[in-house]
Parts: sequence; C-alpha cells; structure tokens
Amino acid sequence: MLILERIWDFYVTVFFTAFNIENIILLFGSVILGIIFGAMPGLTATLGVGLLTTLTYGISTNAAMITLLGMYVGAVYGGSYGSICVNIPGTAAAAATAMDGYPLACKGEAGRALGLTTTSSFIGTMVGMFFLAVFAPIIATLALQFTSFEFFFLAFFGIMISGGLTGQDLVYKGWISGLIGLFLALIGRDHLQFFPRFTFGISELDGGLEVVPVLIGAFGIPQIIQVIRDQLSIGEAKKFQRVLPELKIISKHITTIVRSALIGVGIGAVPGIGEDIAAWVSYGAAKKASKHPENFGKGEYAGVISCETGNNACIGGAIIPLLTLGIPGSPPAVMLLGALMIHNVTPGPMLSIEHPHFITEMIAILFLASFAMFISGIFLAKQVVKVLRIPPPIFMPVVLTLCVIGSYALGTKVFNLYLMVPVGILAYFMQSMGYPIAPLVIGVILGPMADENLRRALMVSQGSFLPFFTRPVALILFLVIVWMFISQTPFYKRFLGGVKARIFKQE
Amino acid sequence: MKKYCLLAFLFVFVLSGLSLAQEKKFPVRDITNTVVWAAGGGTDVCNRIVSGEMAKIFKVNINVINKPGGVGGSIGMNDVYSRPHDGYAWAGVSESCVTAGVQGGWDKRMYVWDYFIVGGSPDVISVTPNAPYKDLKELMEAAKAKPGSIRAGASASGSIHHLNLLALEKGAGVKFNYIPYPGSAPAQTAAMTGEVSVVVTSVAEQQQLIRAGKLRPLAMLTPQPFTMKDVGAIPSSFVPYPGLSKYLPIMQAIGFAVPATVPENVKETIADTFKKALATDTIKNWADSNYYTLSGKTGKAAKEEFEKLESLFAWTLWELGAAKVNPETLKIPKP
Repeated sequence: MLILERIWDFYVTVFFTAFNIENIILLFGSVILGIIFGAMPGLTATLGVGLLTTLTYGISTNAAMITLLGMYVGAVYGGSYGSICVNIPGTAAAAATAMDGYPLACKGEAGRALGLTTTSSFIGTMVGMFFLAVFAPIIATLALQFTSFEFFFLAFFGIMISGGLTGQDLVYKGWISGLIGLFLALIGRDHLQFFPRFTFGISELDGGLEVVPVLIGAFGIPQIIQVIRDQLSIGEAKKFQRVLPELKIISKHITTIVRSALIGVGIGAVPGIGEDIAAWVSYGAAKKASKHPENFGKGEYAGVISCETGNNACIGGAIIPLLTLGIPGSPPAVMLLGALMIHNVTPGPMLSIEHPHFITEMIAILFLASFAMFISGIFLAKQVVKVLRIPPPIFMPVVLTLCVIGSYALGTKVFNLYLMVPVGILAYFMQSMGYPIAPLVIGVILGPMADENLRRALMVSQGSFLPFFTRPVALILFLVIVWMFISQTPFYKRFLGGVKARIFKQE
Repeated sequence: MKKYCLLAFLFVFVLSGLSLAQEKKFPVRDITNTVVWAAGGGTDVCNRIVSGEMAKIFKVNINVINKPGGVGGSIGMNDVYSRPHDGYAWAGVSESCVTAGVQGGWDKRMYVWDYFIVGGSPDVISVTPNAPYKDLKELMEAAKAKPGSIRAGASASGSIHHLNLLALEKGAGVKFNYIPYPGSAPAQTAAMTGEVSVVVTSVAEQQQLIRAGKLRPLAMLTPQPFTMKDVGAIPSSFVPYPGLSKYLPIMQAIGFAVPATVPENVKETIADTFKKALATDTIKNWADSNYYTLSGKTGKAAKEEFEKLESLFAWTLWELGAAKVNPETLKIPKP
C-alpha cells in the first residue's frame, strides 16, 4: 500500500512539475547554469549549490529543490567538459575523466567522448535515483558504520587509489605525489587543537590551503605551459562526428556502467566523501576488470564511462543519508542541507513523518533533472566541441585568464593567486618528471579528513591503535589498502609471475 | 579666469553632491554574509533565514557563505574584518566567537564589531538510547567513579557547547573524555554511530533526533526545564546540582556583525531592516517551530551583551585552563 502510494506520488510530482512552464524554465536554467559551473575551472558543484541556496529563499520548497538539484546534477556532469577538451578538469570530481577523455580528444574523438559522458552521467544519475527510491533506509544504516577510525582509512584509501591508478611508469610516483598532497594539506591550524603548522607566521595560511586554487594551479598551469611549449593542437575537430552516442558502445560497456553506478551510490552514501572518490574508485574497478588494462590512460571508452557514471550515481547516494539521517553524504549535499533548513524542512529521521511526501518529491525532481541534463548535454556538447577549432595561441591565454579569475573569485582573495602559481610551477616540474598530478590534488582534498580523523580516533580510543583492527569495516578497509599496496609492487608481480610459471611447468 | 574658477567650483560641488547622494543609498550591490561556522549548524541556518528575509526588504542578494575554522571562528572573522568596512561584508557570528581572543586567533577586543542578535536555543545534555544512564545523576556518578572514561562529544573547543560541558564538569566535579568535532551536527552523528555516548548541543540542533528516539535527553543546562512536543518535560540540571548556577547558564547569542567603523547611516539602515525582518511571520514561525528564542538586540544593547559574554567566556576559559592568552593582556575586564 505504502509503495503504491509512493509510486502514485512520484508520478503526480513528475507530471505537475513537467507541465508547469515555470518549473521547466527553472529546471533547464539551473541545469545549464550547473553545466557551465562544472565546466569552468574554479566554480565547483559545492559553490554553485551554495550560491543558489540564498537565491531560492523566496521561492517555494519544490521550486527551490528543482533549482538546487538541477544545479548539482549539471555541475557534476559539466566537469567533464574541461577534462575532455583541455585536460583541465572543471571540478575535482572530473579529474579521473581527464585520464582517458583527453587522449580521446587528442585522437579527434572529443565529440564521441562527450556523448559517452552525457549518456553515462544520465544513467548514473538514474541509478542513484533508483537506489534513493528503493533502498534508502537500508543504505542509511551503512552511513552509521563509519566512525573516525573508518574515515581515516577511507581518506587514506582515496589518496592511495588515485596514486596507484595514475602513475605512468612507476606506481610509486603516484603515491609520492599523493603524499606531497597530504603534506600540503597539513599546512594551517590543525582542526582539533588549533595549533598553527607550517604557517611561518603568515595569517593567510591559518585556514590551510584552499582546494580550488590548488586544483586550478595543479591542472591548469602545466597544461597551458605544455600546449604553448609544444604547439599542440588539441584534436582535429573536423573528424568530429555525432554527439549522440552509438548504442553499441553503451551496450558493450553495460557491466562497467552497472559496476560504476553501484560504487557511486555506495560512496555517495558515506558521509564526508563525494563525487571525486566515486569517480576514482569506479575508474580503478573498471581498469581492474578490463581485459586490456594497458589501454587505460590512452583513450579507453570504459575509462570515461566508468568515472562519469560513478560520479553522477554519487548524487543519489549522497542524498540518502541526508534525507534519512540528516547527515549530508558529500560536500554539495552539505549545502543542500542548509537549503532545506532554510525552507523549514529539517532532514532527519522525523522527515518522513513531518513531511510524508518530501522524499518522493526529491526523487521525482532528481528524475527530471537527469532528463534535463541529458537533453541540455547533447545540445551543449555539440557547441562545446567547436571550441577546439580555436587555435591554441588564442585559446590558451583565454583559459589562463579563466583560471586566474576562478582562483580569485572564490573568497576574492589575492592570496589565492600567490598560491595557485607556485603550485602550478611545482606541478609542471613534477609532471615533466613523470609524477601524476591528480593524486596531489586528491591529497590536498582528503588530507584534512585523514589527519583530523586519525587524531580524533586516537582521542576516542585514548591512544590505542587496536580499534583500527577490531572494528569490522575498518579492518576491511585496512586489508584493502594493504592488498592494493602489495599488489602494485614489483616484488608481488615477480612473485605472482614465478607462481604462474611453476604451475604451468608442473602441467 | 574667474569664470573658469567658478565653473570648476560648481562642477566639484555638483560632483560631491552626487557622490554624497550615492553614499546615502545602501545597499546598491549584493551583500556577503560570511558565516564563521559550518553549513547546516545553528548559526548558519539562522543567518540564512534572516539574510533571506532582509534581502527581500533590501531588494539585493545577500550571499551567505561559510568560512569555518580557526579558534572561535577566528578565520572567518579575520577574513571579514580585512575587507572594506562599508557594510557589504557581514560576519555571521555566535556567542562562541568571543573566545577567539583568548585562544590566540583574534588580537582585538569584541567591541570592534556592531552586533545584530537574532536569538538562541538553550543547551541540553543527551546520551545514546542504549546508554545505561537513566538521569543526569546516574551519568555523573558513573563519570565520578571513572574520571575521563565516558566519551562526550561537542563542537570545537571554545564553542558554547564545549563551555557548557566544561561548566558542567566544574560545577558537578566530574571529568569526561571530551572529543571535539567541527560542529554540532557531526558531534550528534558521532553519538548515533556510538563513537561518543554523551553529547552536548542545543535543543534546536537535537530536537529531530530526540523526537525520533535516536538520542535520550537527560537534562537542560539552564535553570528552567523545557517542554518538547512528543517527548515531554526535560528537567533542569540545576535541581540535582545547585552548584551549577555559579557557572551556568551560558546562552546562545546568534546573529551577525559588521565592523564598528562602518558608517553610522549604513548601520542604521541595516538595524531598521533587521528589526523589520524579525517582525515578519516567517521568522516568528520559524523560531517557534525550531525552538529558538528571538532577541532582536542591535546597537548599544547588543554590544553590551557581547562584551558581557566576552568577559564571561574569556575568564571562564582562563579559569578552566582552556585559554592560551591571558585575558588580562587583552584588557578584558573580569565578569
């Protein structure tokens, strides 16, 4: 009975929203704005949802949710534009997409890559929505399995996995880059006792390094220098075919899509980490499962599909603990929480009693938002690819200007520019020496989480490391990290090779 | 020559008149309200609600952003104070911000700001539903028997909830293992996951979880009991422990502030609009349904309240051994 009622609610909301011209304008407007936010370096999904939150104060709760979810879905998807076209991810969530998206663009397949990301983002959002609708109460309990012990391992896992996946020649280089990021994250006052660390008396460093200038500096500056230095022209836009993806490619990668969507929902449901980790883990899993892992990083369709499905599926996942427990599952969901409180809807265990239709409404809006994203995406992608026809000597300075504005706009602090440039130069030299950049950025993003939770966990256990190994979820995470570390070392590979050789000999 | 002089004089006169007229008008562009605590917390939501109502009257946007971190929100406060003192940069603050000075994050006194106080919600001490303590007395006895063994969560050290916890420890002569969290919401989540068994936050922040049975309230940290829908009366902690009156209550004062050097006419415009916003039904209904008491203090009265809080907080922290900077060096008077 309850389920029938819910399904009825769902169709009623979808119907009333879709046949209201104001809502449709709001929906498409915010989705397109979201895509632009996502594509521009420096403007992130979190910032977009945050900025729109205050604007929604005057409108109804329903319209506000249309605007905010549209923005959220659009921005998470839009990040892939920058990744594919210029190798500068618009958001941290799209950093993994650049791994294979940019090589595809270099091959002249930017149109196809954008088509694939549009479709897989759409499918990902839909799967996330489905889980929100059906399994919300079950997944919500998952969120409560995570305490400081698990959060530390999770943050560390995120840094390790992005390091392990991006190293071009040696896997250690990825990890070294991740650890440099982790170190950079320690700058500033620590969050538990407020002791200033590595600030050298500079008050701007008290709050730590801001993620956005680091993200832009680390990805943007090396790319700009490289393109101008090597006179690279990105992809031949002439070869660009259709944006509507061939169903053949999608159906061929259906297992990758399902796997990535499940990973995305699961990671979204865990509080504190969001789309960026979902994308990396999906990418890693796709690489592990692939028959041709050596093609990853050189323009593999599965690479693009996995991370875009993963990061969009994360949205539905992140909303689950938000609505059922009042715990936001990702940084943009934190902003959504604020927006809900403004509209006098307090998410939490009482939500389904105080506002019985609210969760269904959110599901219906997410459903519409993913459609709006798909339609706008297909139209926009066609135009975006034309950008690649602009010759790099004109295009790159424009990108550089956008990078500078993006770094400065957040908090309008000139200090962010002083931060962006050195990080960019460091990143350029690291890249020239074959160190991947993505783990460094992930390290800066997840570093504070790792640091704070490790020390809080030790306060909780009064100095004992034992709970790290006696708590089941923590132990699993620990074993996964150890296995990931060992399986990537040359020693293990030699050992495995030796074992295989011996087995074959005996036969 | 004379003619030119006269013309030039007239020109300057007209220009200055224009610029004066422009100065009178506030606001002409969007305002940024920087909340110094995390999104979704009491200060954040309160500022968003009030900013939203004020934006309607002002007819410009008031962008509410969060800049948490530092001690007592010092990072956000320093950030706002470093911007032009023109009334377009507000700091969304709460009573806990007065501790920034003695914790070494803010080298000025609190009278450098002018405040607009919305109100606050009283603090309550709760335990997880499966905890064996049926009332405050049982919890205190258990804490006395094994000092430092019971884990108590509250927002960052120096926050009002931490101060309430410290005052409770001092007044009842017990010791908890205090675990700091970035805000009240993560502290309450930690209680739900079982990482801590005791949590001190405000009624407004806890009401959902209390009413859903995810947390069990033991006592109010105010002299009066509190009646909550679906739950009933929560007794005052002052009944079993009268000694607490020496340290408690420490009440919230949430609102926003602008640097005191902002032009008087701008401050007056903000105060007028602030009072109009607080009188709207939207705000009144919101306050009722969210367990807030509205204050509406501005100008001298608000400043006095914050100065009182500053001296109380600074010296309490110093007495409790939780301050880094001696309040005497900042010339903060004793309460």
